[in-house]
Amino acid sequence: MERAFKILVVDDEPDLEPLMLQRMRRSIRRGQYQFVFAGNGVQALERLREDEEIDMVLSDINMPEMDGLTLLQQIPKVDPNIRSVIISAYGDMKNIRTAMNRGAFDFVTKPLDFNDLRVTIDRTVKHLLEWRGALSARDRLVALQNELDMASKMQQSILPTVFPEGVGYQVSGSMEPARSVGGDFYDVLQLSNDRIGLAVADVSDKGVPAALFMMSSRTLLKGSAIGCEKPGDALHEVNDLLNEDNETAMFVTMVYGVYDPANGKLTYANGGHNSPLLVRADGSSELLPLTGGVALGLVPDLEYHQETTTLAPGEFVIFYTDGVTEAMNEAEEEFGVERLQNIFAESPPDNAQGVNKAILETVNKFAGNASQSDDITCLTLQRGKMRS
Amino acid sequence: MSISTERANGALIAKAEGRVDGANAREFQDDLEAVIGPADKLVLLDLENLSYISSAGLRVILLVARTLQKQKATLAVCSLSSSIREVFEISGFDKIIPVHDSREDAMAKLGG
Repeated sequence: MERAFKILVVDDEPDLEPLMLQRMRRSIRRGQYQFVFAGNGVQALERLREDEEIDMVLSDINMPEMDGLTLLQQIPKVDPNIRSVIISAYGDMKNIRTAMNRGAFDFVTKPLDFNDLRVTIDRTVKHLLEWRGALSARDRLVALQNELDMASKMQQSILPTVFPEGVGYQVSGSMEPARSVGGDFYDVLQLSNDRIGLAVADVSDKGVPAALFMMSSRTLLKGSAIGCEKPGDALHEVNDLLNEDNETAMFVTMVYGVYDPANGKLTYANGGHNSPLLVRADGSSELLPLTGGVALGLVPDLEYHQETTTLAPGEFVIFYTDGVTEAMNEAEEEFGVERLQNIFAESPPDNAQGVNKAILETVNKFAGNASQSDDITCLTLQRGKMRS
Repeated sequence: MSISTERANGALIAKAEGRVDGANAREFQDDLEAVIGPADKLVLLDLENLSYISSAGLRVILLVARTLQKQKATLAVCSLSSSIREVFEISGFDKIIPVHDSREDAMAKLGG
């Protein structure tokens, strides 16, 4: 405690004040204790209301106007964090018991033994310090929880929930957030000539800073996607913009593709993200090749190459985050790409929404009681079964 | 996660073991910063016994590399298991942080 521990002494005996100051003079001089005095319960409550620094009350029981036992009941109404010690007659167990029942922290007996009083005060100080430490830890926990809730809301609010319904294709996205807020997002953009832009991204950290980084990544991508014809150029631009002011060394992995429903062509660029999975109508599948891109926000002036794949009618492309493939079960095994592929080999998918649902269900079943440590995000595109 | 260190041929070799994820990335960073001295010119991170690294862990490696860059020192990694190597390749970190097959290979190329 930085300042002196402040004790309000309540007694109707006027002799107690000089005696206390004399016997406690060393502790007072060392700045350990500070004493203030009141003659009865009413005066004591007035002092407590005026002086917020009082840590402890040391009170006699028998006093005019308001006795010590009544005072004990009133103190928590002024400040529940003040601790009270009662001065009672030796062997007066009845009053001592009443005082303890009314929330007294401890008691000392008359005639006052000042060594014993010092020990009692020190014990009260120690208790109060621990109590305050616990209170501030609780406050910090509440603040942290609020921050995580805010990050979670920011994350949820930017995810599209309505998907474009173009001729000849279907898109569906889903994210299952982890309890500790992650930084995944997906986006679906309407581009010129009926094309759509599809993105899935994963920010390298958690909490509010990651949520802010995610928001700016998503906004920058939206802007660049509209301005750049080629996905590789869009990632190039987003990367440079993220690098302009990134002291935090946060980064985002992102795969961004442009789909043209007219010919089923998907052109994509990958910035350090998991390879998208192409699933055929019969349930067989393969990972699309990586394009050699580096995660965004790390180093400026990088080229992002792109690849093009053509979807046959009924085929799917799944963009996902490592929350899927790195989900762990209780034996600490990873879900992995193979289990992802098995989902569709065992049961060929029918529609984009069903793909996401099947992935989430299978991952959850695999994880069992192991806690979900990362967001599980999927964005699935299906080319329509009938040629349009 | 734990880190053990040794010095050989003028290089600090820090060997990381276990998992680095979002839950202990901060600890990983503190431990690395604690073992690296201001006079170190070459820090080799031996990842042979690292079983898993998340993006939060990669971020720590990047932060340490940036700090070292400021003191004109180099950070390299070596002896990556196939799964850790895959993480480096997918994220593109292998293009930013020098990756070597073994300690010997790293020392030969970096001239430590």
